[in-house]
Amino acid sequence: MTDAEITPPEVRVLLVDDEADFRSILGKRLARRGLRVLEAPGGHEALELLQGDAVEVVVLDVKMPGMSGLEALERIRDRHPDTEVILLTGHASTQDGVEGIKAGAFDYLTKPIEIEHLLQKISQAHDKIRRSRAEREEAEFRERMKQQMVVAERLVALGTMATGVAHEINNPLAIVHESAGWLKQILDSPDLKGIPRRPDFEKALDRMEKAVQRARRITQQLLQVVKSQLAEMPAPTELAEVRLKDLAKECVTLVEAEAAHKGIAILVVSQEPDPRAWTDPYRLAQVLLNLLTNAIQATEAGGRVTILLETTLEEARVVIRDTGCGIPQENLTRVFEPFFTTKPVGGGTGMGLYVSWGIVNQLGGLISVESEPGKGTTFTITLPAKK
Amino acid sequence: MTTVPSPIRLLLVDDEEAYVDVLYNRLGKRGFEVTKAYSGGEALQKMRGREFDVAVLDLKMADMDGIEVLRIIKLMDPDMQVIMLTGHGSATACRQGLELGAFDYLTKPCELDGLVAKIRAAFQKKQQLEAQ
Repeated sequence: MTDAEITPPEVRVLLVDDEADFRSILGKRLARRGLRVLEAPGGHEALELLQGDAVEVVVLDVKMPGMSGLEALERIRDRHPDTEVILLTGHASTQDGVEGIKAGAFDYLTKPIEIEHLLQKISQAHDKIRRSRAEREEAEFRERMKQQMVVAERLVALGTMATGVAHEINNPLAIVHESAGWLKQILDSPDLKGIPRRPDFEKALDRMEKAVQRARRITQQLLQVVKSQLAEMPAPTELAEVRLKDLAKECVTLVEAEAAHKGIAILVVSQEPDPRAWTDPYRLAQVLLNLLTNAIQATEAGGRVTILLETTLEEARVVIRDTGCGIPQENLTRVFEPFFTTKPVGGGTGMGLYVSWGIVNQLGGLISVESEPGKGTTFTITLPAKK
Repeated sequence: MTTVPSPIRLLLVDDEEAYVDVLYNRLGKRGFEVTKAYSGGEALQKMRGREFDVAVLDLKMADMDGIEVLRIIKLMDPDMQVIMLTGHGSATACRQGLELGAFDYLTKPCELDGLVAKIRAAFQKKQQLEAQ
């Protein structure tokens, strides 16, 4: 969302009439009332202007040489559905106005025009635009929430299954681990000192132990998530008022070297002097570190990773944005799934974002992702601001 | 006359037989006097015949819930120390175990050195209890 959409902008109006004098006089009067006015002498010129400039309301004369007003109306409605059109019809040609409304005009006025009347119509048209924009945003928000719920349900189901698997795997893993250790213990005994191919045995045992450690890390991460999901653990007692700027800077210190090595700048941008969240600083730091590491890995030299901190009365937001390679649309809903990774084998377990999701969930927050391939990725964490 | 310190008497309880067997070997090499039990029932039977200092007890077994075994162990020999093993990381079960008097718990797979250290600490606690 850009700033322009947050603060209601002055209404931008495009005046289309073939009579230059009429246009300029009306234009000046509207401009004096605080409107931003563009002018065009005909339909073609109007359509051209609309392509480059966002205009909210078009005031369109019906009777013009060349492209007729009604034809221009149709094309405007077709190409710029968010723009409202007010028609100006000649005296005694109500028919044109009615046709126009059928074709999607907001309303029509009969020449000669009273300026107050026109201003009122423009303001009504502008209200309609604002309303439908708000409705659309709300619908989009609801849709996003719905999608997030679907993702969350799927993650819980996947997590429950994965944890069951992790649990069952820990037992055989323990046997492999102990057996490798046992063989090492035997190899170390004095009577086996001169055993042939001793280095081969040692190397193989080493590999077994390393592989067990790797598998163990994965099962441990899975178990960590499910603990939060099943609410087996009591709510973390370490909840406290956390100064987000300090926490963010601490996390940045830990990844700075890696970023500098790749030629990536990390910025902490805080929208308020001292944004705070009611959360567990240790676990939040775990999530931030994971997101920062991912962001650095996804970004090329000369790129940038930004941590944006915002708060409202009830919520604190931590946004981590990179200028990296981005995530293709088809992967975007899957990034929080356990074992989902696009890194090469051995490069990642596919557990990082899943664990992060679990932690944020446990902290009573939400985590979401937006991305544009080639431009970058944005993760947004929303947390309670107060107890 | 000097007395050689007698080895710590250890009871290993897990229905994963391969795990018990290899742990039996490794801990034996570390100087413990180890007895194996492949089920909760077997563990309790072994306890009737002789005394142990420390039990290493898996929480999830086919025949009996590890927590149940722990409860009975503590009734039979309150001084005997119990270290719980879990492949599950179930916090509720571990907390319940600690409330029932277990010494500590470890998550499988665990490092042998860590387990050995826990066993020694548990033994010390038992000695302190007996000295009182």
